Order: sequence, then structure tokens, then C-alpha cells
Amino acid sequence: MTVPGGKVFGMEQALELVGLTKVFGDERAVDELSLSVPSGSFFGVLGPNGAGKTTSLSMAVGLLRPDGGTARIFGVDVWREPTKAKALVGVLPDGLGMPERLTGREVLTYLGLLRGLPEDEVGRRTAELLEVLELDHEDDKQVIGYSTGMRKKLGLAVALLHAPRLLVLDEPFEAVDPVSAATIRTILHRFIAGGGSVVMSSHVMALVEQLCDRVAVVADGKVVAAGTVSEVRAGGTLEDAFVSLVGASTRGADGLTWLSH
Amino acid sequence: MALALTYNTSHTLVRMRLAAFRHALQDQLRLTWIVTGGFVGLVLAGGTIWVAVKGDTDVLAVVLAVWMLGWVVGPLFAGGGDETLKPEYFTMMPLSPRTLSTGLLVAALAGVAPIISLIALHSLVIAGANVVAALVAVPALLLQLFCFILASRLAVAVYGVLLQVRAGAVIAALVNAFILAFTAQGWALIVAFVSTDVQGTMARAARIAPSGWGLVAVEAAGRGDWPRVLAALAGLVVLGVVMLVAWSALLVRRTTASRAGGKVRRPLGGTNPRSGAGAKELRSWTRDLLYGHKAVFAISYGLFFCMMPLALGWKAMLPWAGPAAVVMAAAMSANLYGADGTALWTTLMTPGANGPDVRARQRAFLLVFGPITLVITLLLTWWSGYAGAWPLVLSVLPALLGGAAGLVVASSVYAAVPTTDAHKRSGNPLNSGENEGETMGIVYVMLVLVASTCAPALIAALNVGWWGVPIGVLSGVLAWWYFGRLAIRRLDRRGPELLTLLRHGRSPAEQARKTAGLDALPKWKRTMAGLCLGFAAIPLFPQAVVPAIFKLTGNDDTRSWFLALYQTGPWQWVVIVLMAALGLSMYAFGGLTYYHAKKRAPGASVAAAAG
Repeated sequence: MTVPGGKVFGMEQALELVGLTKVFGDERAVDELSLSVPSGSFFGVLGPNGAGKTTSLSMAVGLLRPDGGTARIFGVDVWREPTKAKALVGVLPDGLGMPERLTGREVLTYLGLLRGLPEDEVGRRTAELLEVLELDHEDDKQVIGYSTGMRKKLGLAVALLHAPRLLVLDEPFEAVDPVSAATIRTILHRFIAGGGSVVMSSHVMALVEQLCDRVAVVADGKVVAAGTVSEVRAGGTLEDAFVSLVGASTRGADGLTWLSH
Repeated sequence: MALALTYNTSHTLVRMRLAAFRHALQDQLRLTWIVTGGFVGLVLAGGTIWVAVKGDTDVLAVVLAVWMLGWVVGPLFAGGGDETLKPEYFTMMPLSPRTLSTGLLVAALAGVAPIISLIALHSLVIAGANVVAALVAVPALLLQLFCFILASRLAVAVYGVLLQVRAGAVIAALVNAFILAFTAQGWALIVAFVSTDVQGTMARAARIAPSGWGLVAVEAAGRGDWPRVLAALAGLVVLGVVMLVAWSALLVRRTTASRAGGKVRRPLGGTNPRSGAGAKELRSWTRDLLYGHKAVFAISYGLFFCMMPLALGWKAMLPWAGPAAVVMAAAMSANLYGADGTALWTTLMTPGANGPDVRARQRAFLLVFGPITLVITLLLTWWSGYAGAWPLVLSVLPALLGGAAGLVVASSVYAAVPTTDAHKRSGNPLNSGENEGETMGIVYVMLVLVASTCAPALIAALNVGWWGVPIGVLSGVLAWWYFGRLAIRRLDRRGPELLTLLRHGRSPAEQARKTAGLDALPKWKRTMAGLCLGFAAIPLFPQAVVPAIFKLTGNDDTRSWFLALYQTGPWQWVVIVLMAALGLSMYAFGGLTYYHAKKRAPGASVAAAAG
């Protein structure tokens, strides 16, 4: 098992968070969180609602300034050298807006050009991404008219566009239909096979168990367990391990009598 | 049964609204806006009552018309008016549209603006010639208030329908611009087409307009003209019912309408970061009907404002239509980043994108407003025939365009007002979240700031004629470059903080931290700072600025409560200067106290946690 915050020797770290802290008022949303994602791994971040997953990932990529701690992407400090770090990472944030008045193709064209990619390269990548994600027939639709699932897929295309070495995806499978989910899984596996690394947050256990080789369980802003899937699972199912790790008891058996007809 | 349901719904909605209002009061910044707005409103309400006390019912009729106009046009500037309770929240409730709209209407009464209007409407009681008339004034003022609020809600609903199609957005813009220009320059049209008795005509018109029906009832009651009393009150009731029914119908349409944008005509192209960003920004202006609406509004406002005096053959204002349009356009575009919401993450995650993005927004503003205002200025100045106006307008216009293009991005970054993300917005296309006071305040501030950017050019043109033109161009280029650079630097340094603000708004937790430094101050100092900020406006504006304007314009017959005007000779100016100094020092003391307290507070700005 990886000690949180420690280095796995001999392996390059795609993402390394050390002592990340974020305080909102009196609440420590993220509390000295440390995490190491070895290069080439498919890393799942699990946690109950409000555990601090989105906050941590936002701080890890440069979208939210931490109150303490450091975040490094392939050794580059995200908050000291943001320009260098941001070139290495592709991000899919959860629930954020897009340039709503553009079509999907235009969003990718615009962001590709903004990244300084050559025009024909942008056109080629955009066409391929849209086709693979089945967004290529939506050219008459502005993003504001997209469904939640389509927005996710477009977000993934944005994250992939500049061929980053690390992908940080916040709930990439939420609201995505099964066929598209299978496509996304295939894309992510190819990305890993091609030498990339993926960090993904989710609260769907089965998905994480199936996709990831490493996981970290976050609760109350801290990492309560991290390691390979089988290490964290410790013989049982990931779901059992998760429930016992976050110290929750499943409810719903008592009360609510008024629901019976 | 239906009545009981309506009552219960209204009761619940009022409680919801008050709960939201209590939370708003926790937010220091929103509280400041609410208090400032409330203060201005109270002054205006006081003025209305004062008119009634003076017994000038003609003026009162016009003033009441202005109140109603404020309710109808206000939402356009205040980001869609109050939307604490969105109809969309209640779509799954088994409520009939009528019940829901009645409930929402009653809930709408529980706010600062309706209470201020209610106070202003007490002028009707005072205007009553006798006890009976004063008694009639009570139902009249309540009905009148309902009509104000319903008219406002209906207007927002109508904007909602209009802004779904391009032609509607243009029509709404033209109508709004005409109304607003008419409030300032309408006298010219009246003199030209109706009667030279402007005041009499306006008073007559204001009594025919629904805003005057309450007053008509009260006046008629004073004369014992009961049929007229009944007719006026019944008119208010019927109008209220009609507006309520129309509003309910539009609410249904709103909550079931789709939001998808229209068909795309010219796909985006470009070859590099600069042209890509520019192409994207221009598409906001051409595809987002709200952007287009604001552009048409600003330009037609400038035209109407300066062309209305033409009715009297007075051409001196013609050259200024272009500059007026630029100032209005800038005030309407002061929240570009706020309007785009959390889409900011896309540029934030793209290395080196802030520069091209900011400059693209500036270029798009110039492309949308530059050529058209230049053409308007050239044509109308030529038409006016005032040769002396050429150096003035040609100096002022470039200065204003540059100043506006600079200030819109600077204010968008430094004073961003969080709005609801476009894809999460309600059916009110004007609605930008829950910061209507702040949105409106920034419009006013921008009007003044942008207008002041032409000062060097204007002074130069007035003194050295054509030499003003290069100075105007230079100051425009400088303002564009400098304010743009400010915005870029700020985004580079504080981009994540801006995103956090746009993502979570200003949460109570953030406020708690912001005020942490303030809490450490001794209580007397906190109270003093609060009082200074709250009341500094009194010595500064009514006691210094207004009497100064009166003196400069040679208005000698009104003294009212302007202390300075009760003095003699030079002492008047001494009092004015002392009052101005007092007001400014109060602002300075309050502001510095808050500033230092904020500096001492731990950490930078943050917001609520997300999972």
C-alpha cells in the first residue's frame, strides 16, 4: 500500500498532492490531503457526497487555490508554474459551464486555437473526437441546447484535445448513456495504453472496480485508504470496504412508514 | 377551497422569500447594496410625499408615472428583476397556474422595493382633499401597488417571450430605448405634436395612464364625484386581473419552453489564439439574443435621446448620439465574465489564454459598437450643420470607444457579479441570478466612469479645437491598452478566485472570513465605520452636489432642506465645500476601516465547499 503523501520509489508520479488543505469558514473541506498517482495508472478517487473530492481535484489542477499544501503534475508545481503544469493535464470538471453559444465543433476549434495548435491539426482532432463521441451530427446545435450527457462527452473531448499526459476527470460517467459509457471506457483504456495517466472521481463502486487499478478513498477531506484496488478491497467487495472505511451505516430500513399505501 | 389553497400557497411562498432575504442579509456586500438601494428609494419616496404635501397633484401624477415606469423598465437593468422564487421551482407542484401566479405575486410584495413603493404611494393619502378622499386613498394605493408589481412581472414575462426570437429582441430594445429616452427628452415631442403646455399635457397623460388612476380616484373623491371614483378603482381592479391572467398564461409558457439556441449560420473559424478568441466572442454578440438586445438598445437609446429635440427643429444634440450610445453600451456590457459564468474554466485551464481572451472581448466590443457609432456621429453631425461640433465629437468618440472597451473588461474582471450559469438559468432571459442590486449599481457606476474617460479629449477640444482629436485617439488607445492589461494581469493572478466567485457566489462562509478581521475591531469602531458608510451620502449628495448644481444652473427659488442655500453670498460655497469634505471623509474613514480589517482577515477569498 502506498503511504499517503509518500513517494513510490522508482516510479514517476503523474500527480502528487501533499498536505492539500482548504478551509471554508469553520469547515475544513479538505484537510491535509496527500495522494500519489503513479504514471501510467488509472486512479479512482472514491468518497461519499461532500467528502471533498471535487474540491481536491479542483486544487490539484489549478482551478481552486489551496490554503495549504502543494500539487505537482509530473513534478511541475501547479501553483508555482501554472502555465507549464496546465499544458500537461486535461480536465473535465463537474457541472461547470461551457462557451454556450458555440456548437460542440466550434468549442473544440476555439479551445484548440487558443492552445496554439495549428489550424489544420485542430480541425483533424476535432473531427475525430466528435465522431468517436458521436457528437458529429450536432453541428446545428449550440452547447446550451445539449443534454447533460452530451455536455459530459464534449467536456471529455475538450480534456483530450491537446493530447495531455494526465487526465483529471470529475464524475465522467454521470448521466452518460451505456453505449457512450462503453465508448468512453475504451477511449480511456487506449489513453492509458498509450502511456497516459487518468485520475477519475466517482461514487459508482462497480465502475471504479472495473476500470481502475488504484484507488483512494476520501472521507471528511482526508485520504482514509489508498493503494491498488485489491489492497483497498482487502478480500471483500470494494463497496463493503468503502462503507466500513467512511464509517457510515446504511439506512432506510426504519421510518418512512407513510410511504406504504 | 381554491381560495384556501391560494392563501396557503401565498403564505408559504412569502415565508420562503423572507427566509431567502434573511440569508441575503448575512452577505455583507449584498447587504450594502440593499441598504444603498433602500436609502435611495426612501429618498425618492420622501420626495414623492413632499410633492403631495406641496399639493401639486399634476406633478404627483407625473411622478407616479415615473414610479410605474421604473417597475417596468427596471428589470432590464437589474438583471431580470427579483427572482428569488423562480416559477420553475414549482412546476411539479399540483398547483393551477392562477394559484401559483397569485402566490408568487403576494410573495413579490415581501421585499424592499414594494415597501418603498408603498411608502411613496402614501402620497395618495396626503393628496386627499378631505377625510373621505384620504379613506378612498387606502384601497387606491393598495390597488396601485399591485398594479406596479404586476406590470413589472408581466413586463419581464413579455421580455421573456420577445427575447426568444431575434425580431422580438429588437422590438423590445427599440421600445425600451424609446421609453427611456422619452423620460428625458419627451417634452420636445409633446411641444411639437400635442401642445405647448408641456406640463399640462404630461399631467393629463399621466392621469390617463394606469399609474394615475389611484390619484384620479382620490381627486374625484375630494370633489364628491363618485362615479369617477368607482370607475378609476374598478379600472385598477380590472387591469390587475387582466395582467394577472396574462402573467399566469406566460408563466405556463415559460416553464415549459425550451432553451436551445437557434440555428447556427456561420461556423467559427480562425488560425491562431487571437483570431479564435475573437471569433468566439463575436458569436456571443450575434447568437445570444440578450447580447443583441443590449446592443440595439444602447444604439437606439443614443439615437432617440439626441433626435427627440428634432421635433422642435433643435439640432444641437444630434452630434452626440454616437457618444451617448457608446456610454450606454459600456454600461450594459460591464459584466462580461459574470455573464459567461463558470465557462471561465476553459480559458483558465488553457495556458496563456487570458491575454487573447481579454483582448478579443475588447475587439468584439469595438467591432460591434465602433463602426456604427462612427457612422451615426458622422451622419448626424453633418445633418446638424454645426461646424463647431466636428472637433468636439471627433475628439470625444475615439476617447469614449477606447475608454469603454477598456473599462468593460476591467469591470468585468474586478467587479464581476456572479450570475446563474446559462445552462442552469430559468425561463427569464434577463435573469442573471440574485444580485439585482449589484448589477444595477454597476450600470450606474459605469455610466459615470465611461463618460469621464472622454474628459481629457473634451477639455482639449474645447480649448485647442482640432488638436483634441489626436488627444482623444491617444487617450482611447491608452485606456484600451491599460485597462485591458489590468484585466489580463488580474486574471493571471486571481483567475481561480474569480472562478470560485462565479461558481459559488459569495457564500456565508466566505463572508464569515471576510468579516473575521472586522470582528476583531472594537465595537465602537465597527459601528462608526458602518454609520459613516451608511450616511456619508447625505452630506455629499443632497447637501453638497445638489445645491452646487442648483447654484451653477441659477436655480434660486428652491431651498428645501439644502443647508447651503439658506446662507448668503460666498458662505453658500463654504457650506457646500464643508459638506462635501464631510461626506468624503466619512466615506474615507468607513472605507479605510473596512479595507484594513479585510487585509487583516486570514487568507484570500473562498467559497462554499463542493463535494
